[in-house]
Amino acid sequence: MAFQILLNFLLAVTWMFFESSMELSTFIVGYLLGALVIFFMRRFFSSRFYVYRLFSIIKLMLIFLRELLLSNLAVLKVVLSPKLDIQPGIFAMETRLTSDWEVTLLANLITLTPGTLVVDVSSDNKILYVHAMDIEDAEEAIEDIRSSFEKAIMEVSR
Amino acid sequence: MKTNDIILQTVTKIVSFIILMFALHIFFAGHNNPGGGFVGGLLTSGAIVLLLLAYDIKTVANSLPIDFKITVAVGLLFAVGTGLGSFLFDVPFLTHAFGELTIPILGELHLNTAVLFDIGVYLAVVGSTMTIIQTIGEGE
Repeated sequence: MAFQILLNFLLAVTWMFFESSMELSTFIVGYLLGALVIFFMRRFFSSRFYVYRLFSIIKLMLIFLRELLLSNLAVLKVVLSPKLDIQPGIFAMETRLTSDWEVTLLANLITLTPGTLVVDVSSDNKILYVHAMDIEDAEEAIEDIRSSFEKAIMEVSR
Repeated sequence: MKTNDIILQTVTKIVSFIILMFALHIFFAGHNNPGGGFVGGLLTSGAIVLLLLAYDIKTVANSLPIDFKITVAVGLLFAVGTGLGSFLFDVPFLTHAFGELTIPILGELHLNTAVLFDIGVYLAVVGSTMTIIQTIGEGE
């Protein structure tokens, strides 16, 4: 990914020299045309066309914002309800993610969405111990959300 | 004996990008400077021919899954389409229009419908050149 961005940058600079214009607009046009050329030649690279990965990063951000909003509302409901009818608990969740930054990102996303909190990560980075505010009605649903986060992260790193 | 083409292939990977960028430069320079759809198209197919020389026909066909016969058809459609477009404004066939457009970051652009016609020329030239070369290359 980094290599393709660097190449796109260099192609934009090449374009500025061809046009003999050192303006920002020339650079932007050159960058867009360079992206077009890299897209045309995308199968000569070992990794995917980097703009796809950019899109999956944006998708991950949108998923995060949606989950943040929804689970904050869920917490609000629990806080405002007159009876404290919740069942907290800790469950183990196995993850398929391997590299350090992926596990860190997943743990942070789980922690930042209220209702769940990552307590510990096993020493081989395979199991996350998650504290859930209300485990009774949520365990299945939370697993679903996890897989949506995990899937989105996998799409970014693939 | 099959020789190791690593130097040729590595240099091709770098050079083909510069050629493709230059082809685009030539293509867009066409209005006020030497250049245009024809040379731009020939330069683009030149870059693909360089890839064909460095790799074999199958690798290039897998990496650029483009049917160049369809490229010719699309190019001709562009050319005819810009011609027919003039009928929508009640003017003779192939009458071209131009206008100024100001976009926040890019600044003032001078847009001309002749560029659309040029894209047609470009695609037709790339398509026919590549069809000729690939057909000759595949024949035993």
